[in-house]
Amino acid sequence: MAKILIVDDSSTVRDEVAGFLKAAGLEVATAIDGKDGLAKIKADPGLKLVVCDVNMPNMDGLTMVEKVRAELGNKSINVIMLTTESSPAMKERGKAAGIKGWIVKPFNGAAVLETFKKLAA
Amino acid sequence: MDEQLVSKVLILDDSAQHRDALREFCDANHLVGLKVRKSRLMSVLRTNIDLGAIFFSENYALTPEESAELAVRIHSVRPELPIILRRETAADFAGVPDSLRRATCAVYRAGDWTRLKEIVDHHIFSLYYPCELVRGISELTESVLAAQFPTLAVNWETPCVVRDRVIFGEVFSLIPLESNWCRGYMMLQTEEQGLLDYLLRHAGRTEAGFRDVNNLLAEITNLIWGGFKNRYIGDGGAALRQVQVPLVVNHRHKYISFGSDNPQLCFLYTLRDEECGQEIRIFQRFVFNLNWSPEDFKVVLHAGDSLVAAGELELF
Repeated sequence: MAKILIVDDSSTVRDEVAGFLKAAGLEVATAIDGKDGLAKIKADPGLKLVVCDVNMPNMDGLTMVEKVRAELGNKSINVIMLTTESSPAMKERGKAAGIKGWIVKPFNGAAVLETFKKLAA
Repeated sequence: MDEQLVSKVLILDDSAQHRDALREFCDANHLVGLKVRKSRLMSVLRTNIDLGAIFFSENYALTPEESAELAVRIHSVRPELPIILRRETAADFAGVPDSLRRATCAVYRAGDWTRLKEIVDHHIFSLYYPCELVRGISELTESVLAAQFPTLAVNWETPCVVRDRVIFGEVFSLIPLESNWCRGYMMLQTEEQGLLDYLLRHAGRTEAGFRDVNNLLAEITNLIWGGFKNRYIGDGGAALRQVQVPLVVNHRHKYISFGSDNPQLCFLYTLRDEECGQEIRIFQRFVFNLNWSPEDFKVVLHAGDSLVAAGELELF
């Protein structure tokens, strides 16, 4: 089954996104910040899609993505940022780190479900 | 929505002769006059009613000494509130007891509306808030609340300028706002029970506790903050600023100080459950205590803004 990792320091967002994706038949794991996310990505070679916030304590989402690329190389993990940020500079930084897409919160599951399924397959 | 900011003033003035004229003055100058019974005055001052100032007549109490004593008590309970003294014949503090003089911020003679207008502009509307900012904050906050509470009706009151520092409710959040035109905080204040009820009745929870309320308020704060940044700050907010001042919270008096006397920009949103009539009130305050330069304010325009709406995926 396709597995998705949700990285967000807000339990409200984790519950909302994970609940929606589970109800859609996807397997979901969660991480509470970038540091936790990085550890879980390293520990799960089968992971295909990560949905990640930007502003988080301990390690922010963009730093996490950069570390994933630096430490895991070209491993094919798709990363989508789910954040309140829409700054072009941040998007450029994300693109440089190889993220696949950007969603400005709030989360609209119906609008992205099919894409998530493809990226997680 | 009416974009004109208002401010609530407590009118401690029993003069029948002066009352109608004062009401007209308030209407003409974006003030909402509030009256209170003398017996309830101190308890009202201890509650949150988002006041901008107090209009105080030198004859409010039976004797000048009693008026002075009352003004001093008001000033000790709410030192942040400007007390504006109305005198019958004099236009200055001549003959006013020292204690009353120290408790009040300014004086005007009855009927001198030009002077009162100057005082109001100086002590209440001393900061200029751009209409686009006031309107935009309401719009983006309503959008966030409507998305977060889809089963509730969102309403808001006309935004106001407040001087008091009383904390509403039991739970509040603070988040810094940093840009080249403003530095300060956004604060959301609300009551716990309303959010608990929402989580249990509308969000499919079988149980919820104060941590869930905290998390929900934090996420609302985050979403509004993100909207504010995207609309009004953009990439100009990243510069490192070193200056900070201590924030002081006095739990006993439900009081928060940001180290500045600046008036605060206040919004009140009401989330109403139309089925049972229950309401959640959320007070939103903007406190630009570290920098306020509205002349540099501008709306941030991103290329492609019209192409990707919130909630939609922008693929790279």
